Amino acid sequence: MADFFRVKIVYSQSHLVFPKIIIGILIILAVIMLLQRVMKAKKEKKPIISLKNKRFFEENYDKLKFYGTIVLFILYIIFMDIIGFLTASIIFVTLFNLLYAATKERKSVIVSIIVSVVTSVILWFIFGFVFNVTLP
Amino acid sequence: MIVFGLLQFVVAAVGVVIGIIFGALPGMTATMAIAIFLPLTYAYDITTSMYLLLGLYVGGISGGLVPAILINIPGTPSSITTGFDGHPMAIRGEGVRALRIGIVSSLFGGIFSLLVLWLFTPPLAALAIKFSAVEKFLIILFAMTVIAALSKGNMTKGIFAGFLGVLTALAGTFADNQKLRLVPSMFKMDMLSGFQLLPVLIGLFAISQVLMEAESGMKKSIVKPTKLGEEAKKFKFSDFKGQLVNLIRSSSIGTFIGILPGVGGSAASLLSYSQAKSFSKEPEKLGTGAVEGLVASESSNNGLTGGALVPLLSLGIPGDSTTAVLIGAFMLQGIQVGPLFITQNPGIWNTMLFALLICNIIMFLVMFYPVKYIANIIKIPKNRLYPVVIIMCIVGAYASRNGNMFDVWTLLLFGIIGYLFIKFGIPVTPYLIGFILGRDLEKYFIDSLKGSGGNLSIFFSRPIGWVIWGLIFISLAYAYYDNRKAKKQTIKV
Repeated sequence: MADFFRVKIVYSQSHLVFPKIIIGILIILAVIMLLQRVMKAKKEKKPIISLKNKRFFEENYDKLKFYGTIVLFILYIIFMDIIGFLTASIIFVTLFNLLYAATKERKSVIVSIIVSVVTSVILWFIFGFVFNVTLP
Repeated sequence: MIVFGLLQFVVAAVGVVIGIIFGALPGMTATMAIAIFLPLTYAYDITTSMYLLLGLYVGGISGGLVPAILINIPGTPSSITTGFDGHPMAIRGEGVRALRIGIVSSLFGGIFSLLVLWLFTPPLAALAIKFSAVEKFLIILFAMTVIAALSKGNMTKGIFAGFLGVLTALAGTFADNQKLRLVPSMFKMDMLSGFQLLPVLIGLFAISQVLMEAESGMKKSIVKPTKLGEEAKKFKFSDFKGQLVNLIRSSSIGTFIGILPGVGGSAASLLSYSQAKSFSKEPEKLGTGAVEGLVASESSNNGLTGGALVPLLSLGIPGDSTTAVLIGAFMLQGIQVGPLFITQNPGIWNTMLFALLICNIIMFLVMFYPVKYIANIIKIPKNRLYPVVIIMCIVGAYASRNGNMFDVWTLLLFGIIGYLFIKFGIPVTPYLIGFILGRDLEKYFIDSLKGSGGNLSIFFSRPIGWVIWGLIFISLAYAYYDNRKAKKQTIKV
């Protein structure tokens, strides 16, 4: 019993002690949450997992904007490395603007481009020259 | 001692104004504002940065009252009860009066909490200096249980989120023996020091929100703001006659809830509103446009600001998500927040108090007089702001280690994680606080055990330790009781 209350700290392995404890606690908590769920389901006589009446996304969610955001984000990061921060930002912030504004009116497109150029240049200037952070 | 000049004034004013805009736009919060502006503070020293960040904080909390009163949608969670009485007043044609009452109450709450911060932090820190590794370990454990305990209705999820945050923080090299753990071998080089704080918190609080808004299509609010023009009733300072007790009570509730780790603004607002109602002589009038309700809500949520800084500056434990982000500013500048903070950095401490005062005054000035124009804030199109938010997030993440693409991917990863957390009802704040405190938790745990030769009974051997254990059990017991009560109520309804 006394050994149970001891944790051996061996120098070469000490980096693994705490992660193991935390993973242990997480597993216990996960089991507790599972049990709570099973008990609740039994009480209400429902199946443990029912996907009925459950939806991950909101009803009529904006598919274009949601997936568009993720795709543009990934492309933005990739292109930033290839064509440089300023060019990539001007292009992608314009695209984000067009995606979110969701109209093809001339005025809206022009506003998008202006917003994009202005913010990109300002940030590029502040970080690149004032803060001396090398942007790609 | 106190750093203040034209630059600091300008930075504070910019912070307050941007904060108000973020606070006033539903879906954008003070936390998000501070997260995306954090990288900008690289350029300044910590004191000047504080003017910007505290300005964003005060502005972000205060701005929430504008849409709450005008369109009955709280701009931030902490102004959830402001609309109960503010909006009926606006409909009656007392919009300007309601806004001004809200603004004055906010100022009162802010100043009140500042006084509490000033008076209570040093003694608490003095107590904490005596803490050994054991107590430091226990106090973090206590903070995490309180946070989890107060995640309404899902305590286990809250605790789980907290420990998951700890596990995330552990990835990388362990300082004691320089060995890598929890890192896939392909990211070995990029993750020597684990996930960087800045991309993690910007992702959790800004990118996740952008994804939520993208999902719902970023629709413009259909509700037309109530017109401000012909005033049925003008604002007078005598409106506050008989409200002094209410002001002090609500500010105290707000400040106290701010001090408790992880409770959050909406709880402060709801609690002081319900207290105002039960103490009111005419409780039936609340909800129909009574001054009392408005005063209670707005003074309590600004009371949070100073309160949340108390545990941060005395124990190094953030009181809410906003101060958790604020801790990032100190970490970036290499300043340790904890019991020794005030004694080691008296200049920063005094400047912070002064900055908080200045920010509250600026908030009052920029909202109270141009009140008729401030209504225009809610007309700012969000779909033009989000692209700007995205580029600022990316630049911020990239700059966090002076140019590393891996951090930008981290940003996206934690944006998606934050989004999934919201979807599955896992509270984000305990996760972030676990992440921030995880490394310290490990350090104190290992240090305690090294001292005792691996004997776990060390954690039960000191009197201060017993007190903290007591607090941990009380908070768990309270949470259990509160959880049951909440469940019973939902069954009844």
